[in-house]
Amino acid sequence: MTNLIQVFIERRGDLSVALWQHLVISITALVIAIIIAVPLAIWVVRRPKVAEFFLQVTSVLQTIPSLALLGLLIPLVGIGTVPAIIALIIYALLPIFQNTYLGISEIDSSIEEAADAFGMSRMRKLFKVELPIALPQIISGIRTALVLIVGTATLAALIGAGGLGTFILLGIDRNNTGLLLLGAISSALLAIILSLIIRWFQTAKPKQALIALGVILVALGGSGAYSVYANRTETITIAGKLGSEPDILINMYKDLIEANDDHVKVTLKPNFGKTTFLFNALKHDQIDIYPEFTGSVLETLVKGKNPKGLTADQTYALAKKRLATQADLQLLKPMAYNNTYALAVTKTFQQTHHLKTISDLRQIETELNPGMTLEFIDREDGLRGLKKAYDLDVTAKSMEPALRYEAIHKDRVNLVDAYSTDSELRQYQLAILKDDQHFFPTYQGAPLMKASFAKAHPKVVTALNQLAGKISETDMQEMNYKVNVQHKSAASVARQYLVSHDLLKGVK
Amino acid sequence: MTTPLIEFQHVDKVFNQQTAVSDLNLTINQGELFVLVGASGSGKTTSLKMINRLEPMTSGQITINDQDITTLPVRQLRLEIGYVLQQIALFPTMTVAQNIAVIPEMKQMPKAQINKLTDELLTEVGLDPAVYRDRKPSELSGGEQQRIGILRAVAAQPKLVLMDEPFSALDPISRQQLQDLVLRLHHRFNNTIVFVTHDMTEALKLGDRIGIMRQGQLLQVDTPTAIAQHPVNDFVKEFFGANRAKNVYDVYVGRIGLVLGYLDTTNVTAELSQIPEIDGQATLRAAFEILAKQNYLAVTKEGVLQGYLDRQKILDYLSRYTAES
Repeated sequence: MTNLIQVFIERRGDLSVALWQHLVISITALVIAIIIAVPLAIWVVRRPKVAEFFLQVTSVLQTIPSLALLGLLIPLVGIGTVPAIIALIIYALLPIFQNTYLGISEIDSSIEEAADAFGMSRMRKLFKVELPIALPQIISGIRTALVLIVGTATLAALIGAGGLGTFILLGIDRNNTGLLLLGAISSALLAIILSLIIRWFQTAKPKQALIALGVILVALGGSGAYSVYANRTETITIAGKLGSEPDILINMYKDLIEANDDHVKVTLKPNFGKTTFLFNALKHDQIDIYPEFTGSVLETLVKGKNPKGLTADQTYALAKKRLATQADLQLLKPMAYNNTYALAVTKTFQQTHHLKTISDLRQIETELNPGMTLEFIDREDGLRGLKKAYDLDVTAKSMEPALRYEAIHKDRVNLVDAYSTDSELRQYQLAILKDDQHFFPTYQGAPLMKASFAKAHPKVVTALNQLAGKISETDMQEMNYKVNVQHKSAASVARQYLVSHDLLKGVK
Repeated sequence: MTTPLIEFQHVDKVFNQQTAVSDLNLTINQGELFVLVGASGSGKTTSLKMINRLEPMTSGQITINDQDITTLPVRQLRLEIGYVLQQIALFPTMTVAQNIAVIPEMKQMPKAQINKLTDELLTEVGLDPAVYRDRKPSELSGGEQQRIGILRAVAAQPKLVLMDEPFSALDPISRQQLQDLVLRLHHRFNNTIVFVTHDMTEALKLGDRIGIMRQGQLLQVDTPTAIAQHPVNDFVKEFFGANRAKNVYDVYVGRIGLVLGYLDTTNVTAELSQIPEIDGQATLRAAFEILAKQNYLAVTKEGVLQGYLDRQKILDYLSRYTAES
């Protein structure tokens, strides 16, 4: 509980941004869903067969798992707010459509007859008689849709639309219950409050309801217009993968770029997704820059055979060349630290079995019980290749990155994959086994951007190149530790590093 | 002087190959309260709904003021015809006042005038406007609801009002009160009413003329007295008989005059001005009380003298009543 309060105090600013994003996404989706579903339902009331068809279609749409739906939308409309809103609209259609349709078609036939007998026009009958009678049911459909939307909108964070889901993802990733609860509770509260507001609409006098609706629409429209306006000034969007390290790095990028050029504003999208997702976002101009690793480029992002045993410089040169020729992207100079894969065991385990290198594992093959990330298990430069290179026969349980450290700490597993800069290595007293066969490629971090972007923004390139050759592995472990374990904000940790290394001009 | 308002000419109505109304020829006159009576399935409601085209006719022609109703735009036709439903069907989301204002509003009557009219009408039917104006239909009793249903139909003062079994769902007391209301409004607005019912007593009470229907056929059209005295066939006679009160005490005094005719005034020996008056809607129970002390009764309808009855006449009716049952 105290953790939760502390997180709340630290993250007030982020929370209000996320809350607003969440609100805008939810309400926009809801309003559009109403605009689609209500007239459609009215139109099909006199056409029961068409209505049946639409009910089936909307029910089927409802059964698509939300995560799958988001995935399906990415190739069509990319990432960010748009696909998130589209997915939410799709979910909201059924309850609104169904309730409107039933609300109107279930009106007593004698009332319809009376309206007809008095010579009411179709429109007059609709607005004076049918809609007022069906209104409570329509509104209850809208409320159902709203609760659904606010809940599902937490998934929007997965495709870079922000919102309260960011806190939940971050909480899972950093094994920080406070963050997770903050996201979950805020989202639940938002649903309850919005639901109450809609209930008020139901009882409010038509005039008050219209005024309130107008205010909400104007506020949303204004915020939309503002964001369009804000986007017209030079804004650079920098995203980072999940985790504290990319988060710290992109905060450094932001500080460096903004210190170098007063006319540029940097928007950060931390915890934006996994490697290929960010790569695609960059190619589709949804983001401008993100920190990538030389090794990851060669392994997953470009085509071509990778020679074994490259030095760090050779790895960078090859990655830079292939990115330039294959994707027209530019990889700036890398930082010092090598955040490569490593295998780690607890210090006690290491001592009992006299382990020094990965080769030593072969002797105790049968006793091994590895817990590793899905990504590591499935990669050629991960477990797959490792098993061949070291002639190891092990099967690993797949785990979320943050969970595998918990697991080894609690002796549920005895071998994990790690990144050499992970703060948990320090936190849980883990030992890295030496890669005696030089199997793991070099992973040095460097800013990745489009070649055209680099050409158009020389000041940005200069600013970011200040980090070339900086930041050692211990520096990085230390900074990760501050964020993950001491719950400091990535922004302050990044700023502290830049200031103490005299990298920020004019910023004290 | 009677001017025809509505004329049915060889009107047929076929539903799913079943004849609901067959070769209907009927003239309803301006200013009359015409009652169509018959059992369910007799085609009376269908005939009524063909007038405002809620039911399209299969063949034949209906004219209103010599104008073929199918040549008029349907909404314009309906806007000029009041309509009262058996299910009452007040609009549940509107207040009493809003319900009454529905048609005047469509006719673009000024708002102030509508408000004044609403209050007047409410007062007319014995509902205090201050109390009832802003109530919702669900807060009213069935009888009160149908009063509003009637006001809604007559508020714009249409020349023609159609009523489809409006009181069949009401309790006997409300029914009587509303029947009286219909008569009152009929006289006040001097409109033409076509009233459908399955209740012969109601038909006899309300109708200037009555049309009796059976299985889509119009059997007889005439004044209540003529039908009572000269039923065209056994069915009409039966129908007439089957609708009388279950208990002899509840028979309307007016009915005796209808069936047997009133006394010839030359035979009345008492001073006419001293004979106690009784409304035709009163029951025999009340008549017995008077006849216990007096020899004669003067039967009135809305204050107008209909004729005289004496003990003999009543006993004659009673003996026939027993014979009939």
